[in-house]
Amino acid sequence: MRFLPWPRALRGRVALSFTLGALVLSTALATFTFLVARGYLIGQREREAVRQTYLDGAFLRNQLATPGAPVDEILTTADPPADGAFVVRQYGQWYSTTLGVDPPTVPETLQKHVRSGHAGYVLTEVNGTPSLIVGLRLSPVTQFYRVAPLTELTDTLNTLGAILAIGTVLAAAGGAAVGRWASHKAVQPIHLVAATAAQIAGGSLDSRLPNTSDPDLAIIVGSFNSMVDTLQQRVERDARFAADVGHEMRSPLTTLVASVELLNRHRKDLPPRAVQAIGMVSGELTRLQYLLDNLLHLAKADAGLDLTDASVLPLGDLVRHTLNRSGHSADLLNAADGDGRVRGDKYLLERAFANLIDNADRHGGGLRAVTIRPDGEKLLVLFDDAGQGIPLEDRERIFERFATSRAARGSSSGTGLGLALATQTLSAHGGALWCTDNPAEGARFVASLPLVAP
Amino acid sequence: MAEHLLLVEDDDRIRTVLRLGLEDEGYAVSEAASAETALDLMGDDPPDVLIVDLGLGGMDGFTLIRTVRRSGDLPIIVVSARTDTHDIVAGLEAGADDYVTKPFQIKEITARLRALHRRVISSAATDEPPSPEVILDAGPPHPLVLSTARGTVRRGEDDVHLTLTEYGLLCELASSPGRVMSRQLLLERVWDQGFFGDERLVDVHVRRLRTKIEQDPSNPRLVVTVRGLGYRLDLQ
Repeated sequence: MRFLPWPRALRGRVALSFTLGALVLSTALATFTFLVARGYLIGQREREAVRQTYLDGAFLRNQLATPGAPVDEILTTADPPADGAFVVRQYGQWYSTTLGVDPPTVPETLQKHVRSGHAGYVLTEVNGTPSLIVGLRLSPVTQFYRVAPLTELTDTLNTLGAILAIGTVLAAAGGAAVGRWASHKAVQPIHLVAATAAQIAGGSLDSRLPNTSDPDLAIIVGSFNSMVDTLQQRVERDARFAADVGHEMRSPLTTLVASVELLNRHRKDLPPRAVQAIGMVSGELTRLQYLLDNLLHLAKADAGLDLTDASVLPLGDLVRHTLNRSGHSADLLNAADGDGRVRGDKYLLERAFANLIDNADRHGGGLRAVTIRPDGEKLLVLFDDAGQGIPLEDRERIFERFATSRAARGSSSGTGLGLALATQTLSAHGGALWCTDNPAEGARFVASLPLVAP
Repeated sequence: MAEHLLLVEDDDRIRTVLRLGLEDEGYAVSEAASAETALDLMGDDPPDVLIVDLGLGGMDGFTLIRTVRRSGDLPIIVVSARTDTHDIVAGLEAGADDYVTKPFQIKEITARLRALHRRVISSAATDEPPSPEVILDAGPPHPLVLSTARGTVRRGEDDVHLTLTEYGLLCELASSPGRVMSRQLLLERVWDQGFFGDERLVDVHVRRLRTKIEQDPSNPRLVVTVRGLGYRLDLQ
C-alpha cells in the first residue's frame, strides 16, 4: 500500500531521494551517537557508584562492627546521595535512611547475588525515578545497598536526545534543499537541450548546443549537435534537390515555350488542325510551367520562406497587377472600404493570389469579384467565385496538397498545390487563408494579412 | 541596319529557337556556344547587345560579363535558369544591365531589348533636356559635370565611363535633384518594367554608379539612399 504518491517529475524524485537519504543517514548517526553517549555516561556513573558504595560500605562496616550498635542511628550519621538512600539488611531486618524506600525496592535477584557474598548493581526504577542500586555484603548477616537516583543523567540524556532529534530533522531538511538544488543543476542541461530543440523545430536549423567541458554532458552535447548537423544537411540536400530538378526542367521548358511561341507566330501558315493542336500544347505548357513553379516554391517554402526581400507594398496595386497578369480586368477589384499597405515579398504574394484566382477560374466557375476590406489590424482580401461553393466537410481538406475535389479532376487539371502554397505563403507573412460561403453564391476564399501602419 | 545580337548559350536547342525567334523580330543574331567563342566573335564583329547564359561550361557567364565590362559599356542581358537571389545579383554586380529567368518567352527578351534601345535613344535625345549641363559635384579637385547634350559625364577634363543603364539612371535622378525617386519609379523609367520588376536591378546599378561618380563610394553623398522610399540625387 502506498501512502504517498512517488513524484513523477525527475526533480521531485531527486529531491525526495536526497531527503530520505539524509533522514536515514542522520537518524542512524543520531541513534548511534545517543547509544554510545548513553553507554559511556551510564558506565561512568556505575563505576563511580560502585567506588562510592565501597567507601560508604567501609564506613558502615566500621560503625556496625561495634556489637549492639543500633543500625537506625548509624544510618542517620551516614551521608546518602542526594535524593537517594542507604538501605541495610541485618539479620533479616531492613533499615533505610529514607522513608519510602522499601526493601522490596531492591530487586530479588540483586539481594540473592549480594547475600551469596558478591557485590553487584542493578539499574531500576525507584518511585518512578531511574536509579542505580549497588549492593555489597558487609558481613555474612549484613547487606548494604546504596540507592542513587540518576535524575541528572536522565536529564542529560533527554537533552542529548532532543538535540539529536532536531539535528536529524535539520539534516533531512538540508537533504531536501540540497536535493532540490542538485536536481535543478542536473536538469538545467536538459532545459537547454529542450530550448534548443524547440528553436530547431521552429526552423532555425543552425541552432546548436554550446560546447561544454563537462565530460558527462559532452557526450549528450556532441550527439545532439551531430544529430542536428545531419538533419540540417538532409534539409539542405532536399532543398538543393528541388533546385536541381527545377534547373534541369527549366532548360527543356525554355526550348518548348520559345518553340511554341514561334509556331504560334507562324500559325497562319499552318493547317487548322495543327493550329488546334498547338493551342492545346500551348495551354498545357503554361499549365506545366505553373505546376513546376508551384512545386519549386513549395519546396522552398518547406525549407522556410525567405522574406529578406520583403518590402512595404500597397495591397490594392498588388492585387490589381496580379489580376492583370492572370488575364483578368483590374476592375474586378473592389477596394471601396479602403485598402492599405502590407509588408511582404511581392513575388510570393503575387503567386499566392494568382493561385487563388486560378482556383476560382478552374474550380469555381470563374472569378467574380475581389474585395479588399480592412478588419482591425488586418487587411482581408476576398476572392468570390461563381461556382457551387465548397461543402463544409471539404473546407479544411482543400488546403492540403493534391487535394483538388474529385469532381473537378476530370475536366480541368488543377495542380492541387496552389491552395497549399497560398496557405503557407500567407502564414509566413503573418496572415491566414480560409474558405467561407459567398453571400451571393459560390465560394469565398479569404486571405488575411497584417496591416502596416501608414 | 538591324541591331546585332550575340547570343551566348551552351544549350543548342535553346540557342537555335532563340535565334529563330529573334530573327523573326528583325534582329541580326550571331551564336556562340561558349564564352571563349563569344570573345573571339566579339573581336571580329562587335555586337550591339550581348545575351549571356550564366551557366556556361568552361569560362562561366560571370567571368565573361566581367571581361566584357572591363573593356567597354556593351549592353548585356543575362539569361539564367537560376532564380536564386545571389546568382542573379552576382550577374548584375558583374556588370549585366538586365536579366530574364528561364523558362521565358521570346517576347520577354525583345521587351528588354526595346527598353535598352529606349535608353540609347533617350540618352542621345537632345531635343529638350531639362538642362544640357548639370554640375553634379562642384567640389575639388575637379567638378563632376553631366552633359545630356553630349551624353557624357566628365570629371574635370576626364570622361567618366558609364554603361547605358548607369547613364540612364543618372539622368533620371538628375532630372529632379533633391527629390526622392522610388525604386518602382526608376524601374519603370529606366528598365521599362512594371509592378513586378525586380527592385534589386535598381539597387545594384545605384551601387555601381556610386563607385564611378562618388568621391567616397562607401559614404555616398551624391546619390543617397532614403530608407524605405528610394534614392535621391543631392547636388554637391
